[in-house]
Amino acid sequence: MKKNALILVLTLLCLLIAAQPAFSSEPEVRLNVWAMGNEGILIRNMADRFEALNPNVRIITQSIPWAAAHEKLVTGVIGGMAPDICQLGTTWMAEFKSMDALEPLDSHLQKSSFVKIEDFFESALSSTFLDEKRFGLPWYVDTRVFFYRTDIASAAGFSEFPKTWNELKALATAIMKNKARDNSPGFAISLPTNDWQIFLMFFWQAGGQIFPEGGLSPLLTAKPAIEAFEFMRSFFNENLASLTSGRDMDLLTAFETGFFPLFVAGPWMVSSLDMSKPQLAGSWTTAPMPANQSGASFIGGSNLVMFKSSKNKELAWKFIEFMMTAENQTAWYEVSKNLPAVREAWNAPALAENPHLKAFRRQLENAVAPPTIPEWEQIANAISDVVEPVMHGKRTAEEALSDISTKAGIVLHRAVKSEGATSLWTLALGLAAGVIMLLLAFFRWGPKELDNISNRRFQPVAVIFVLPAVFLLATFLFIPIVASWFASFTNWDMYGISNPSSVVWVGFDNYRQLFSDPVFWISLRNSLLFTFIGVPLNLICSLLMALVLNREFIRFKALFRIGFFIPCITTMVAVAVIWRWLYNPEFGLLNMALGWVGISGQNWLSNQWLALPSLIIMAVWKGFGYNMIIFIAALQSVPDVLYESAEIDGANDRQQFWHITLPMLRQTTFFVVIMTSIGFLQFFAEPYIMTGGGPLNQTMSVVLYMYNHGFKFYNLGYASSIAYVLFALILCFTLIQSIIKKRLEGAKK
Amino acid sequence: MSMVSTASKWQKTGFLVFLCVSVCCTLFPFVWMVSTSFKSPAEIFTQTPTFIPAQPTLDNFRNLLKAANLGRSFLNSLVFACGMTVLSLMCNAMAAYGFAKLSFPGREKLFALLLLTMMVPGQVTMMPVFLILKTLGLLNTFTGLIVPGVASVFGIFMLRQFMRDIPEEILEAARIDGCSEFRIFFSIMFPLCRPILATLAIFSFIGAWNEFFWPLIIMLREDMQTLPVALANLNGQFNTDWGLLMAGSVLVVVPVILVFLLAQKHYIKGIAAGGVKE
Repeated sequence: MKKNALILVLTLLCLLIAAQPAFSSEPEVRLNVWAMGNEGILIRNMADRFEALNPNVRIITQSIPWAAAHEKLVTGVIGGMAPDICQLGTTWMAEFKSMDALEPLDSHLQKSSFVKIEDFFESALSSTFLDEKRFGLPWYVDTRVFFYRTDIASAAGFSEFPKTWNELKALATAIMKNKARDNSPGFAISLPTNDWQIFLMFFWQAGGQIFPEGGLSPLLTAKPAIEAFEFMRSFFNENLASLTSGRDMDLLTAFETGFFPLFVAGPWMVSSLDMSKPQLAGSWTTAPMPANQSGASFIGGSNLVMFKSSKNKELAWKFIEFMMTAENQTAWYEVSKNLPAVREAWNAPALAENPHLKAFRRQLENAVAPPTIPEWEQIANAISDVVEPVMHGKRTAEEALSDISTKAGIVLHRAVKSEGATSLWTLALGLAAGVIMLLLAFFRWGPKELDNISNRRFQPVAVIFVLPAVFLLATFLFIPIVASWFASFTNWDMYGISNPSSVVWVGFDNYRQLFSDPVFWISLRNSLLFTFIGVPLNLICSLLMALVLNREFIRFKALFRIGFFIPCITTMVAVAVIWRWLYNPEFGLLNMALGWVGISGQNWLSNQWLALPSLIIMAVWKGFGYNMIIFIAALQSVPDVLYESAEIDGANDRQQFWHITLPMLRQTTFFVVIMTSIGFLQFFAEPYIMTGGGPLNQTMSVVLYMYNHGFKFYNLGYASSIAYVLFALILCFTLIQSIIKKRLEGAKK
Repeated sequence: MSMVSTASKWQKTGFLVFLCVSVCCTLFPFVWMVSTSFKSPAEIFTQTPTFIPAQPTLDNFRNLLKAANLGRSFLNSLVFACGMTVLSLMCNAMAAYGFAKLSFPGREKLFALLLLTMMVPGQVTMMPVFLILKTLGLLNTFTGLIVPGVASVFGIFMLRQFMRDIPEEILEAARIDGCSEFRIFFSIMFPLCRPILATLAIFSFIGAWNEFFWPLIIMLREDMQTLPVALANLNGQFNTDWGLLMAGSVLVVVPVILVFLLAQKHYIKGIAAGGVKE
């Protein structure tokens, strides 16, 4: 039976592999184009048009999930698997340029007859111009404007949207006054607290500049930054805005009910409102930013870039050129509702006649792009981290400003290479020799109790049995573990991709930096919290269910067991989808259920006190079935005789539990505790998918922090040092637990 | 076997009610997922949730098939999971036999070293392994996806535990009869280990089917994506189509639950064996 199954599976495998389409036999030229999320799907429409004009070309479009886009592109570049053309966010340009991954377009641009650099919005172009060269062209733009309910604003006495900060404040106050009078729920404005873009907009409006002195320090002009912090915070202090960030809040509905009559958003909201809230038409519109020193907004969007590795650069340029014509920019707007980066495209009726887009058109002439430096993504993260505590009133604006410059200093310092360090290779070889010596010493003088006399005998055939696995483990486990050990003592980062010689030995710098990195300490605390709360909860649930299921009179045991076990075998991606929906602050079932018993709903995943417990509950739900099965088996292996004799001696249920069941479960419990603890210390997928580590880093785990540094920012050296601290922690845990176990056993004897 | 006890009727009903309530709570999210996947957007966003969709619709599933090349992803997941299962069983069983029943100098120490690596978080090795695969030109291939995960310390550990309990006398008898170690391994060990092998087979199948990060990083081309990655792709940056996501989740979850239901006895036995022995 086993054999048949094996043959069946093998045949299936062969068939499947044979069934892969054989691309190589096709005559056409192929062009790989990547775009993010939904745009990666919609770009197919444009690709079809291009193919109709160029019959011998086949465009292969691919959609990349937003959440993983950065790591996917980095791995693509390193792996030599980058596409010919890719959509690249404006904030990512410098980073990929510094990896030497992008192709300059200047020579193509000079030859082009119908793409002129002057046709684009200037602010959109700034992100494409690096080191006097043009890398990529703006594909579409995205700027932030105010969305507001005209009916609510005019009820508050504003027939026009505020033009200045003071008027904005007055409008918000008037709205709240009306709300208090009508006893209607909600706030005046939705202001996310974990969003660097919102903060920077206010900062720019206050007259601020990034890198005002041209050098890498200071990062922000001080006075406007403090003014921006205080202006933002006053909305929370005066209860005009809510402190829970809106990750899963359905803004559309909150807007419809008037819960949030004002919010700042990009162009995607126009089509979302048109489509899902048609009944609101006529009672909302958009407006440009109110001004302080200026009325600047943030400009984002995406560029199309060509990768250096492209083998079809002429054709790739042809496609980029095709996407930039006014006609196709309008067509792309109609397909995707993304705003054209080319001015002329705005004259098309679809854009010119849409009243909600007027504000965007005006704002685009007054929008600022963040600086194009490779470290920007990390600095932006640092700003988000700092803004949130200020809004919560935990830090003052002045403290936050100094926090920002400290953090930016660390990030930018990492970019400055330490020169004249010892040659990396000499040290690597030295260390490799050291590790080999250690291994040899382990085998020669290692723990004596592992030296079984019978194993001194050598059966040569054993080599054949053990070799395949040992070889694979050596290649894909030992070598990588040792390699990242080395890496943890280097400054290996994104500059190392294009220029390996820039990677130098930095000794304990990474570790030193790590111990003074506040986010690392938060992540460590969180991982310990996950473990100390999660493991006992998991243990209680699994043991309780095991005890109940072990009662002899319970019928359908198998069914119950399967029921409890199903969450264990479900992929985290699907579990995350389901639970994000259950935890949804507005339509989530959890809040509705609480509503029925009269408890007001919570913002489970974005409340700083609830996010971590919410993740733990989900993790326990997903994992307890596994340990339950182990406990059931352990319970069944307890000899009946023990219970029978206890029965005869008159022991009751409780006494039997404490004096027979628990002691007999000691071994199993030990095993379960170790395995579950290791699992919880490595907590990663849950926060990665559900919260991204937020709010306020309250769900950032050590492994997630390491992953962010490794794959998102490509600080391999730093990431490796985090990994080794975690490794040491897990080792300590296991050692402590085995000492406890030994003690207990000693006490028994 | 079970706890011998005399429980009153009330106690019995109490326990049963407790179990039923708990199992309902555990399974509820799945029921809700299935229910939502058949709802229209209007019905998803209501203040009074309905358990059974008032107007069930297949729109979400239709959109799902339009939105992503799911047939291909399904095949990819299947190849990945099946390939992983077959190869890792073979490789780990052989190694386990070596560690459990054959002797060579340093055996226990080598094994202790393997166990030690179980404590290193998996993400540590991701980047170096990626670079190794790149050097070998194995990115974007099933080989690159499967091979690094084939040898698993956990699998070897479980199998070794099981094999150690198989009496030496059986093997000695075979050896005296002139069986080679390979004969012994394939004709005696393999059949004797059937329960634990079945367990590990489902373990690695389900593990591979559910894997997210590794395929995401290794399979760069869209036509090589696995199902969980395709599901994650459905997430918009700013807006979330819950109906579509739920339909996708149903598609990812249901096959695994079916496989599990078919083989759950082996699976559960195996976990138990791994935890109780030693």
